[in-house]
Amino acid sequence: MMSARNFPKRMFLPSVLLAALIIIPFSAPLITAEDPIKIAVRYRLAAPDLQHWLGRDEFGRDRLARVLHGGQVSLTVAFVATTIACIIGTFFGLIGAYFRGPSEFITSRLSDIVLCFPPILLALLVVTLFGPGAGTLVAVLSVLYFPTFARITFSEALRVTSLDFVEASRALGTPSRRIVLGTILPNIAGPLSVQYSLTAAAAITIESGLSFLGLGVVPPAPSWGQMIRGARQFMNQDPLGIMIPCAALVLTIYAINFFCDRLRDTLDPKGASGSGMDEVSKPLALADAPAIKDPDVVAVINKLRLETARFGTSAAVIEDVSLTLRANQCTALVGESGSGKSLSSLALMGLLPGAIRQASGTLQLRRKTGEVVDLGFLDARTLEDIRGNDIAMIFQEPMTSLNPIHKISDQMIEAIQAHRPMSKSDARAHAVQLLKRVGMNDAEQRIDSYPDQMSGGMRQRVMIGMALSCEPRLLIADEPTTALDVTIQAEIIQLLQTLRQDQGTGLSLLFISHNLGVVADIADRVAVMYSGQIVEEGPADQILRDPHHPYTRALIESMPSSHEGLHSAGGDRLPAISGTPPLPSARPSGCTFRDRCPIAVHACAEIRPALYPSADGGRAVRCLRAPEAPAGLMNHQTEAA
Amino acid sequence: MTAAPLLDVQNLEKSYSIGRSGLFSKRSLKVLHDVSFSVAPGEVLGLVGESGSGKSTIGRAILRLIDSQSDVMRFGGQDLNSISPARMRILRKEMQIIFQDPYASLDPRKTIRAVLSEALDAHGLHQGAARGPRLIELVTLVGLDPSFLDRRPHEFSGGQRQRIGIARALAVEPSFIVCDEAVSALDVSIQAQVLNLLADLRAKTGVSLLFISHDLSVVRYISDRVMVLYLGRVMEVGPADRVHFSPKHPYTAALVSAEPSLHRENRRIRLTGEIPSPLALPSGCIFRSRCPYAQPACAETVPPLQTVGDQHQSACLRTDIL
Ligand SMILES: Nc1ncnc2c1ncn2[C@@H]1O[C@H](COP(=O)(O)OP(=O)(O)OP(=O)(O)O)[C@@H](O)[C@H]1O
Ligand code: SF4
Ligand code: SF4
Ligand SMILES: [Mg+2]
Repeated sequence: MMSARNFPKRMFLPSVLLAALIIIPFSAPLITAEDPIKIAVRYRLAAPDLQHWLGRDEFGRDRLARVLHGGQVSLTVAFVATTIACIIGTFFGLIGAYFRGPSEFITSRLSDIVLCFPPILLALLVVTLFGPGAGTLVAVLSVLYFPTFARITFSEALRVTSLDFVEASRALGTPSRRIVLGTILPNIAGPLSVQYSLTAAAAITIESGLSFLGLGVVPPAPSWGQMIRGARQFMNQDPLGIMIPCAALVLTIYAINFFCDRLRDTLDPKGASGSGMDEVSKPLALADAPAIKDPDVVAVINKLRLETARFGTSAAVIEDVSLTLRANQCTALVGESGSGKSLSSLALMGLLPGAIRQASGTLQLRRKTGEVVDLGFLDARTLEDIRGNDIAMIFQEPMTSLNPIHKISDQMIEAIQAHRPMSKSDARAHAVQLLKRVGMNDAEQRIDSYPDQMSGGMRQRVMIGMALSCEPRLLIADEPTTALDVTIQAEIIQLLQTLRQDQGTGLSLLFISHNLGVVADIADRVAVMYSGQIVEEGPADQILRDPHHPYTRALIESMPSSHEGLHSAGGDRLPAISGTPPLPSARPSGCTFRDRCPIAVHACAEIRPALYPSADGGRAVRCLRAPEAPAGLMNHQTEAA
Repeated sequence: MTAAPLLDVQNLEKSYSIGRSGLFSKRSLKVLHDVSFSVAPGEVLGLVGESGSGKSTIGRAILRLIDSQSDVMRFGGQDLNSISPARMRILRKEMQIIFQDPYASLDPRKTIRAVLSEALDAHGLHQGAARGPRLIELVTLVGLDPSFLDRRPHEFSGGQRQRIGIARALAVEPSFIVCDEAVSALDVSIQAQVLNLLADLRAKTGVSLLFISHDLSVVRYISDRVMVLYLGRVMEVGPADRVHFSPKHPYTAALVSAEPSLHRENRRIRLTGEIPSPLALPSGCIFRSRCPYAQPACAETVPPLQTVGDQHQSACLRTDIL
């Protein structure tokens, strides 16, 4: 997982600290030559001196030697017990998860029984039965902790086992033992190692507790619990005596917990980018926004440039994106995954992720009042108010935006009341109205169901209903039908069409999709994105019927539905373009499409094409060889290499 | 299909037990009803249907990755219903699978070399000195650079990962591959590349495919025959072009017409109603709750598959309508 090459910086400090705390007790002979059990009553409770840095205890034994050797015992007991628990627990967990059936039953029931006992009680019971001693301690702690490992392994392994790559291994005929050890185990190592550290810390505490009670390590062998026990009687005369083992204990447990926390953050893919996952990056305040005169214009994105916010290597993810959205119009943003469709729309909502920052460009909106605002000059509260009042958004998977534990009715009422003061019963009546509008039969009854009681199509209807609750001027739909079956998709598209027509204020719809067929159905205008830029923009029927950009052409051509006469068995092949879109950090010079463009010429490597408008201004293309490109651009043109 | 089929499946059924209704009795959910089909050597059989129709279940049942019941399940002359686990493990060399999700289908911790080697090791193929050249041959076959062998999946795009998944399936030179939504997660321009690759492989190696997809145009292009599934029942099966351009079952017709297209005028057959829950299937024809042509008779009998043309069968009582 963590090879030396990518050992994360944040793990450095806790690892060093933990390593030091483990190494120091075990290098006791190098630090002090004193014998931790040699009694010298003459010097009992002697103060620290040059020979005995920490003084002597109630039997005159050297405290430094005792705390170090005691650490050896405490740590050995804790780590041996944790390791045994981990091995046994992981074994049971893996067997239970991979083979299911009876082994699953045994694993989970056995763990349940052990987990029912309060740990200290179980420990006391065993120690009383078998007598104190390090061996008994290790046994008790292993029995105590193996169920936790079994549980974690079981649930994690279950998750990994259901992944396709495990299925693929089974389909290949790889023997079960190899699948479990070679594929499943490495993939659950992360959570297991976190649990390991947590358990080790807990084991140290319990070990000290039992030794303190006289049920752990047998005197005179030192252990931290022992030391506390001994020093307790002389607490008043000699506070140092109790402070030393306590400090050792606290420091060790702190180091382990610190290590655990960092380890968990590092292994958790969501936490990997550090703090600020939920952070939103603020729109930029620039004074050069163009004035908007046309009252039909609902939103304008002008020359937007977004960059990754990381210092040093900032790459432009979005470059020179301009878009005008009008009332009563559906604009479709199409392009392949990673082309920047979602980021463009999030920018318009003022919801850019923290890792992305707006480098230049302006974002303007016309509010319901008719007032035009520049997002860069608004405070967070006003932006909040605009989302939900003037702009609404629906997403690909409605389940992720609906809360599974609340009824639809409660969620809708809350959404309505958030933006409009009205009584609960009025809000409910309004919600029912909305659901009827989005074509839900028996809305009065079904409003009280939970999201998972509905089909995907119904959930998307609910989302659309909620989005419409404040009668927004702009509805942004990010792949709203991608997760739906074709017959249901057709219904949702139909619904969006109808809603657009009968929304009084003239709803503007920004429809994001990678499916050109769907776009042809719903869009008035189309903007095609490639690698962070709009490469072609114009009326939908013109663009889709007669694309001028080679990328738009390639997209349409590579769809099997464009070739109803071709069949693989007849030796026909689809006209595919080679290669993949470049990463934002590795875009070629000149035209970003030139590596894949079938008609590229030398000039394409030198000139970065702008979005050239057609003579009538109706459409625009970012290609040097398009009919719209100004003449003379390519006077040093030589045909493609 | 006069030649002996490579794969022959009769009356395949599959139930999942869900929850418990009483203390001891488990409720069961039947997701496949009486599915029969065969695949000839070198043939591509397309399998289409909406989510929950049982497409993936069929694929996994044939590969014995899940349990199922059937009257006949024969592959290459061997009876899969009575085969021993040891023999099944050997037979796995002949039957492979390509998954939908290029991200979930590769172990994030294994290099491409390890992924492909696992396949070869499982059947003791190309051991020792022969290993290196074989791995290079495999990645080249799917259009990747041999320098990719020592990288891990996160360094690849979705399309490249999908090619690696294909290379893994091809490593053992199977005679049959289940492609479970193998191109669905890919962007169109990459999807076309991968489809062409599959078409080439098929022409070159004569491998048979069970090609599962919800995209009818993709299935039409790649398949010789297409089988349409609705809620675990076969609605229609026949030659790909015939099923696509002149469907005989109302459900197929609705599916084809619902498919968004740049080129066809929208003459949509609007279906009303939702897909019924598999727990409360309609009596008689299971499509009748959404069928625009349903009649009272449709509630009484389960329509059998009837021959409606050469190699073309449809399970609808009303042969008069389409
Ligand atoms: N939080 C982020 N941190 C860094 N890069 C990001 C982040 N979000 C997106 N990107 C990058 O920005 C580019 C555009 O991403 P975006 O999500 O807008 O694409 P998209 O067109 O919506 O794709 P899809 O069809 O897959 O949803 C991609 O290169 C992506 O890797
Ligand atoms: S500018 Fe050149 S490389 Fe870019 S799309 Fe046009 S012809 Fe192709
Ligand atoms: S049998 Fe009846 S309900 Fe079923 S598809 Fe045919 S007409 Fe429709
Ligand atoms: Mg997106």
